[in-house]
Amino acid sequence: MSGIRRQALAVARRDLARERRRGEVLWVTIPFGVIALLLVPLAIGTDQATLHRVGPGLYWVVVLLFGVLVGVRGAADETGPQRDAAALLGLDPVAVFAGRTIATSSLLVLFEIVVGVAAVAFYDIDLIGVGWLVVVVLLVAAGLGTLATLASSIVAAGAGAAALVPLLVAPLAIPLLLGATQSLDGLRQGRSILSWILLMIVVVLVLGIVGVVSSGPLQESR
Amino acid sequence: MTAQVEIRDRRWPWYAAVSAIVVALTLSMISPADAVQGDLIRIMYIHVPAAWLAYLAFTVTLAGSIGYLATKRMVFDRLAASSAEVGVYFTGLAILLGMIWGKPTWGVWWTWDARLTLTAIMFFVYVGYLALRRATLDPDARAKRSAILGVLAIVQIPIVHFSVVWWRTLHQPPSIIRPDGPAIQDPLMVVALVAGVVAFTVVYAALVTKRMELARIEDAVVAREATLERPVAGEAVVAPDLSPEPGGAR
Repeated sequence: MSGIRRQALAVARRDLARERRRGEVLWVTIPFGVIALLLVPLAIGTDQATLHRVGPGLYWVVVLLFGVLVGVRGAADETGPQRDAAALLGLDPVAVFAGRTIATSSLLVLFEIVVGVAAVAFYDIDLIGVGWLVVVVLLVAAGLGTLATLASSIVAAGAGAAALVPLLVAPLAIPLLLGATQSLDGLRQGRSILSWILLMIVVVLVLGIVGVVSSGPLQESR
Repeated sequence: MTAQVEIRDRRWPWYAAVSAIVVALTLSMISPADAVQGDLIRIMYIHVPAAWLAYLAFTVTLAGSIGYLATKRMVFDRLAASSAEVGVYFTGLAILLGMIWGKPTWGVWWTWDARLTLTAIMFFVYVGYLALRRATLDPDARAKRSAILGVLAIVQIPIVHFSVVWWRTLHQPPSIIRPDGPAIQDPLMVVALVAGVVAFTVVYAALVTKRMELARIEDAVVAREATLERPVAGEAVVAPDLSPEPGGAR
């Protein structure tokens, strides 16, 4: 078990090192998300009350749609020779899946924080229940990271992978979107958000189990 | 050497499908008009069976996917893929007919109702399933990857079905299968609706049977072509003919 953990951390470190060299998420995806937040008021109008009302929902839609691009990055990187090398090195498929999920989720946390700061500034979003907000941000990052890693493993750098991963991820991420938006709404209105937190935890667990169980067969099919 | 693939031209699926559709259409036309909706209710005799087929088709896709993962037999992969293809078509039909019915009834083509929105999402999940299959060329890899997605995607069906129970929605709750008996009072209406469901199920079986046969032929052709002798590299290049043409001209 410690072997798998060590391998998973090594894969995560490799992915994060690659991101540090290229800066794809930091210099491309994050600015792209912030630009999306800037464009919406130009399309729907700059009425401050309207923007204040739609801001939180819009933030999560941007996280979902643009966050998928963080997962696509992994699909594009995992070429045939790299996968063969990992298999020849004896890397456990579960460790590869876990490592890539950890790296993608970590990058998604960064994405959510930076884009979140922009959303708070542009849309004047109230930050109520910061402790719960941190939990929601982490759960969305974990869920979206797991889903994006699973989808990119299924697509595996096939033809049109860059378009196919978002098509697979976006509809299946609806429970995460609902959980996140309803949690923020609940915090604003002083309602309990435990049921939504529980929903997101279940989604993360189910996706994690599917990812772990399918990682072996998916590696064999490459 | 030519590729020869056995083709079984079975007609019974078409005969069965056409017969069932004729019976169902006749019943839907002779059933009475609704007291409130009038003749608009007749759209329901196609909309409800189409929605039922979506559930059936995607459940069969799940069964085929599990069957493939357990046995690695390609017939299960073909069943899952064929069923998903037919299911996507009927889900689209159910959404389209619901929109046509919704405009005169609710006053809008689309409303952000839980059932409608989740059905549209389910449609796109299976469009993604089909896109994944088209993007993967190797038959074994395609079968394995789409089987995993086929298992994962099934989570949509209970959410779509129970959405009218879990959320307060504009879409009406189940009309036939409900704890306190069918909400429809007229027996002819119930018979017409059930006949529609049976007819569409027969059409589904016919389409899936034919699509599976087509998929089998496609796989056989691909496998056959892979074993054919091909021209070696450079064979197309021939030396120029430098011999003098008749008449002496070069």
